[in-house]
Amino acid sequence: MLNTFRRALVTNIQYQQIRLGHRIRGKAPIYCRTIKERLDELNYKDEIYTTRIDIGLPMVKSSSSEKRNGRLEHIKKIKSDRTLEKLAREHKLTVDLLDARKEWLNTLAPFHKKDIADHYGVFEHLYGEGYFLPSVNLDISYDMDNGSTLPVYTGNVIKPRESLQRPYVSFESDNDTLWTLVMTSLDGHLTESDKEYVHWFIANIPGNQVEKGDTLVEYLQPFPLKGTGFHRYVFVLYKQNAKMSYDLPKVTSASLENRTFVTRDWYKKNQDEITPGGLAFYQSDWDDTVRDFFHKTLNTKEPIYEYDFPAPYIRPQEWYPRRKPFNLYMDKYRDPKQINKEYFLRKLKNEDPFKKPPPPLKFPNAHAFPKGMPSWLKLHERKIRLGWGRVNDV
Amino acid sequence: MNSIRKLSLIQQSSRLSSTITAEFVNRNPRNLERIRIARKPDGYHLDKPGRKYWHKLVLTPSNRTVTAQVVHFVNGPVIQAKTSEWALRKQLYSINDTSAYINLAKVFTQRCLESGITEMHCDIIPTKGGKVEKFLNELVDGGIKLTEPDVYKQPNPWDQHRPEKPWEVTEE
Repeated sequence: MLNTFRRALVTNIQYQQIRLGHRIRGKAPIYCRTIKERLDELNYKDEIYTTRIDIGLPMVKSSSSEKRNGRLEHIKKIKSDRTLEKLAREHKLTVDLLDARKEWLNTLAPFHKKDIADHYGVFEHLYGEGYFLPSVNLDISYDMDNGSTLPVYTGNVIKPRESLQRPYVSFESDNDTLWTLVMTSLDGHLTESDKEYVHWFIANIPGNQVEKGDTLVEYLQPFPLKGTGFHRYVFVLYKQNAKMSYDLPKVTSASLENRTFVTRDWYKKNQDEITPGGLAFYQSDWDDTVRDFFHKTLNTKEPIYEYDFPAPYIRPQEWYPRRKPFNLYMDKYRDPKQINKEYFLRKLKNEDPFKKPPPPLKFPNAHAFPKGMPSWLKLHERKIRLGWGRVNDV
Repeated sequence: MNSIRKLSLIQQSSRLSSTITAEFVNRNPRNLERIRIARKPDGYHLDKPGRKYWHKLVLTPSNRTVTAQVVHFVNGPVIQAKTSEWALRKQLYSINDTSAYINLAKVFTQRCLESGITEMHCDIIPTKGGKVEKFLNELVDGGIKLTEPDVYKQPNPWDQHRPEKPWEVTEE
């Protein structure tokens, strides 16, 4: 009874892990389960939660025997090529990376892209149990100032400064098909963490002419907040069966109003008409353009976050602590703000706004302390001179 | 082990603005690993090789082909390249000689960079002047680091030093 009660209380709080000295607890190693077995049991999820549904376009299968014969022919040709053999033996054979990539896009790329997207949790956060094989190759690239382009692949890092303007998008398509392109941020929502912001939404793209589509939501630069790390920005290309008029509010300004979006709900509503086919995503972390975005475009203060580390473990205070330095021991149970204030006041005491600050001591340990100074105070002073410990928190 | 992926951040200036929440959750499962505060699976230091990594490079030569993989400690293989896949085989003379290893490294590097995984643990000890050494050199030349950074440990107030916070370092 008590155990269950305690567990209910404890679940939400993450404590710092501590290890107290102990003898072997539980069964002897040869009888007990291994750590792997125990972790597998802990992380076990029922089939209901792990079954996934393919919602993508069907993979086009080409004739395998024809392909195989063509490949065998090609390999025969290579094997009889004397110059190629010589190059290979001298370690000078270099493959054409562009050509290799093109071939990869036609063969294994959808499977590899799906693997890496799963690794980044993209499908899980877009569709829940749904996933798709990105069989349509999406070429997305941002133009840089110096004339080069910065392509979006599957998880590469692009800074906000480099993605201020809308990217250039291209994909292969016949002229009759209609497409929808959606760019969302999976991690960027300011208030609800399980929702997304839609950064760009173009519907009814005829063929691969992105400019001719209906822009429902104008492009908005990514704004990963300071201190929150890397955010994912995902482009998904959907194939339409017919001309669509999604009943979404039209957003033309850069404000965050009406940009809240849940891909899963939106897809569920339109799933009979649209099918996801192409995927590209990148990661982005904070730089100064985010600050400018908040100050100039949104006209608000920029939120700054810091990671919430678990508090250090401090054992309960004792009436008569034995063999503990009294000052250090007492400091552990005082308000840290008060301690920092004391260090701060001490620092201010030696500062004069009209004088040049004295140069730092060249040999801090060579300066003698006044006679009769207790040893604990000497240590305290020495720590401050050397910049060790709590002085750094001020 | 999976609970560590949860990222919650406390806002310093939460009392300044009321529209934004005090707690922000970044759902990106790779975020904590990138900013070096995720945990590595510790406790296998008696095993050889250890398992203290997030991503690890695995090179598997078989009799006919060579496979290079990036293996994540939970998700398993996430990036891979083989010399027997058509993209590579089409242009190679042999699929397990030294040039195959060098070219595999080139293609594999490209895929890793495209996927944003540039640092990985590597416990392969190559023989000097061999194929594997050339493979690893090619990876390093391509811009992949074969060591993973250590986990950032939050210093306690009474600790001597305050190590630099990895997410506050901005390279220009």
